[in-house]
Amino acid sequence: MLTIPPSIVFKGYLFAVPALVLALSLPLFAFGGPVAAILAPIVSAVCYFTIRSLLSQISIVREEKCFLDEQLIQTQKLAAIGELSAGIAHEINNPLAIIAQEIEWARYQFDEERQTETSSAELKDSLNEIAVQVERCREITHKLLDFARKKDPLIQGVEINKLIEDMARLVEREATQKDIRIIRQYCGSLPPVHTDPPLLRQVILNLLNNATYAIGENGTIEIKTRILSGSFVELVVSDTGCGISKENLSKIFDPFFTTKPPGKGTGLGLSICHGIVVRLGGRFAVESELGKGTSFFVRIPIFYQSREVK
Amino acid sequence: MSARPRVLIVDDEERFRTTLRKLLTVREMEAADVGSAKDAFSEMEKNSYDVILLDVKMPEMNGIEALGRIKKEHPDVEVIILTGHASVDAAVEIMKLGGYEYLLKPCPIDELAGKIETAWERKIARAKRKTEGS
Amino acid sequence: MHKIRVLIIDDEPDFLETIVKRLMKRKMDATGVGSGEDALSLIENESFDVAILDMRMPGMDGIETLKELKRKSPLTEVIMLTGHASVESGMQGMQFGAFDYMIKPADFEELVEKVNQAGERRRLHEERIQKS
Repeated sequence: MLTIPPSIVFKGYLFAVPALVLALSLPLFAFGGPVAAILAPIVSAVCYFTIRSLLSQISIVREEKCFLDEQLIQTQKLAAIGELSAGIAHEINNPLAIIAQEIEWARYQFDEERQTETSSAELKDSLNEIAVQVERCREITHKLLDFARKKDPLIQGVEINKLIEDMARLVEREATQKDIRIIRQYCGSLPPVHTDPPLLRQVILNLLNNATYAIGENGTIEIKTRILSGSFVELVVSDTGCGISKENLSKIFDPFFTTKPPGKGTGLGLSICHGIVVRLGGRFAVESELGKGTSFFVRIPIFYQSREVK
Repeated sequence: MSARPRVLIVDDEERFRTTLRKLLTVREMEAADVGSAKDAFSEMEKNSYDVILLDVKMPEMNGIEALGRIKKEHPDVEVIILTGHASVDAAVEIMKLGGYEYLLKPCPIDELAGKIETAWERKIARAKRKTEGS
Repeated sequence: MHKIRVLIIDDEPDFLETIVKRLMKRKMDATGVGSGEDALSLIENESFDVAILDMRMPGMDGIETLKELKRKSPLTEVIMLTGHASVESGMQGMQFGAFDYMIKPADFEELVEKVNQAGERRRLHEERIQKS
């Protein structure tokens, strides 16, 4: 990687080379006679101009590399957007198809000749379904906007165990109704963590909700916190739910990937969580065994450092 | 051969397939619907169909795999693929496997009904050629 | 250090009065209103650092109020409050920009702590905007 700042080196040469020429010529003149004295500056001049042109070449190459790097990032971004757009289109086309059909069916009900008792009931039902599908689309687009909006985290000192406990208590009420226990294993010596509290709450709530869904009824969710070598805190949410298959494991952070039936869940939750954790300077990982359960690992730095876009 | 096309709708979106069934029925077609490829195969064992409307993205077996198997087990049946997401590669694959048509959702019902009719007519014409030919 | 301005939105008059009084005792500038609609008209003329919002009210419901609040006064941090804990509404609320979520009956000390944290966030947010 070229990290030479050419202008400084260039200026250095402007002074160093003539000094070198002088320093070399004098003894040559003394010992080597006039021929040597004439040759020495010529050789030095040649060196000087060679070095100068080399430096400008280096600076050109560096600029090109920067440009290419930017292009690569742009291309990758465009590819990601392309993929996302295809996903969005697909997700929205299904509700649209249903809406189109309901409208056709409703129009059919309006036909005078066919007016029956059941017509208005069918009409009502179709309109209802249209509303449901519109809501589904709305959820998709809103989640997308959220996903796209890069919110810079606002950093505050957070008691992680307390934050998690608040979310756990929220989930617990519904969980106990389904015979799901939530076990806490909080590390007692966690320092306050400098991170964005509402963003982290979103992640925890999402993970707890997914865990509940994965279990269905009768199971356990375990929440653990601990300090990782020096400057990271790790939160683990484990469940005894259905687990994730090996082939799905690599896809779960993809936007729109979902194993839920159509209309239930947009598949954006985990990808948003992943985005948040990355923005918080952390790492998001998963381990799972089909039929046994899943564990999500969220590691965040104790002291937030804004990440440069590489 | 029946007087009207017998259509089997295969799609995991329940509301989509049930309303489509109703819309096709009032257009003088015999329509039935199932929620998965597995159910489609059991249904085709029980009753015969002229045209299958097949969704590409389904859990367990996807539309393309299902298409291959349908053409093997019921080569006379015409298959129309319905998808929410167009892909040139998938389209080519489908035509190669013997799919009749590839339609993007949402598809206006008139257009869909028209395609079903022509697929059915093609099936009749082919069957006729067979009986005349052999 | 200015007093934190808190707006409490709850349709239970007894609860409202109690919370307002107790927050005032903690040196906060607290105001109470009984509905989402009242809250939205109030914020036309007054600005608040933190809002405590009951999610289950007749008339305009919690999520609608939250959305409108964040739209009209995006810097006001909102703490959702409800006696009926629903993960769904919690997640929705967080998505729509709520700062935190509390279940009734709320421990008052905890509430004060959350209000302080929300107030701190508001301040940080303002600072960031002023810097840019």
